[in-house]
Amino acid sequence: MLFSERSLWTMVHGIGLGGAALLGLGAAVFYLYAARPASDTTGNAIGSRAFATATVFSAVMLWLTVIIGTYVIFPPYRASPPAGTSDLSQFPRALVLANPSTAWLHAFAMEIKEHVPWIASMLATAAAFTAVRYSDGVFRDRSLRKMVLTLLAIVFVLVAGISLLGVFVNKVAPLD
Amino acid sequence: MATVSRSQLPALARTNGAAMAAALGAGIGSCAMGVFVLLNEAGLFAPPALYGPAGGVTGRTTLATIVWLLAWGVLHARWKSRDVAPGPVFTWTVVLVVLAIVATFPPVWGLL
Repeated sequence: MLFSERSLWTMVHGIGLGGAALLGLGAAVFYLYAARPASDTTGNAIGSRAFATATVFSAVMLWLTVIIGTYVIFPPYRASPPAGTSDLSQFPRALVLANPSTAWLHAFAMEIKEHVPWIASMLATAAAFTAVRYSDGVFRDRSLRKMVLTLLAIVFVLVAGISLLGVFVNKVAPLD
Repeated sequence: MATVSRSQLPALARTNGAAMAAALGAGIGSCAMGVFVLLNEAGLFAPPALYGPAGGVTGRTTLATIVWLLAWGVLHARWKSRDVAPGPVFTWTVVLVVLAIVATFPPVWGLL
């Protein structure tokens, strides 16, 4: 088999769901930043539904990424090797900790990846809720627009950073 | 007589309380995550793991999620029909998120 089950889950987590969340966040941030409070003749801000859809999509992708990351990917990552094991390739945490030059991938990168994605998911949910409930109001009310844009920008930066750390960890100690 | 859907109502006619509650609730939930991480690293409080193979992170994140949902629910119930000054809410939300990120930054744990 070309890819193991663990490897497939890692790809679903990082590239599929995490990548989709990043794309959705990028689109939402760009649209809200670039959009002017233009309106059509019915009084609806143009594209507010598309914006709400992108924001909700991003939040859902983020939650799925976080939950799969915590409950599916993390257990095999942190599994302890049996005593006397010399081949650590199936035990990523032990593998990176065994080498002083890669130990930071657990002590720094993975520790951040354990908690910060949950923060990003909460913030993304708040932005999505506001985008849906207030629809065109997000484009018309400056304070709402500023709030949602700030939340989404923070989430985008956090998710981009976390993704980069995930790439580093997976490059050195992949879940094969 | 023409009818209008909820989404066609002028946005500014709606109070902003629900949005402010969502934002501040997320800030409080984020900060709770940071607090639980710091307490765990300081050896003062370690929430039990909900799923053994994943370890203590499952307890910390679940507790923070509960705090988030509770804070959001309480704020929403109190603010949903009101207009809330956005400035202080915005400031507090950002401050709480920054505190959370600092608290979950591993080099900070070395200062405990």
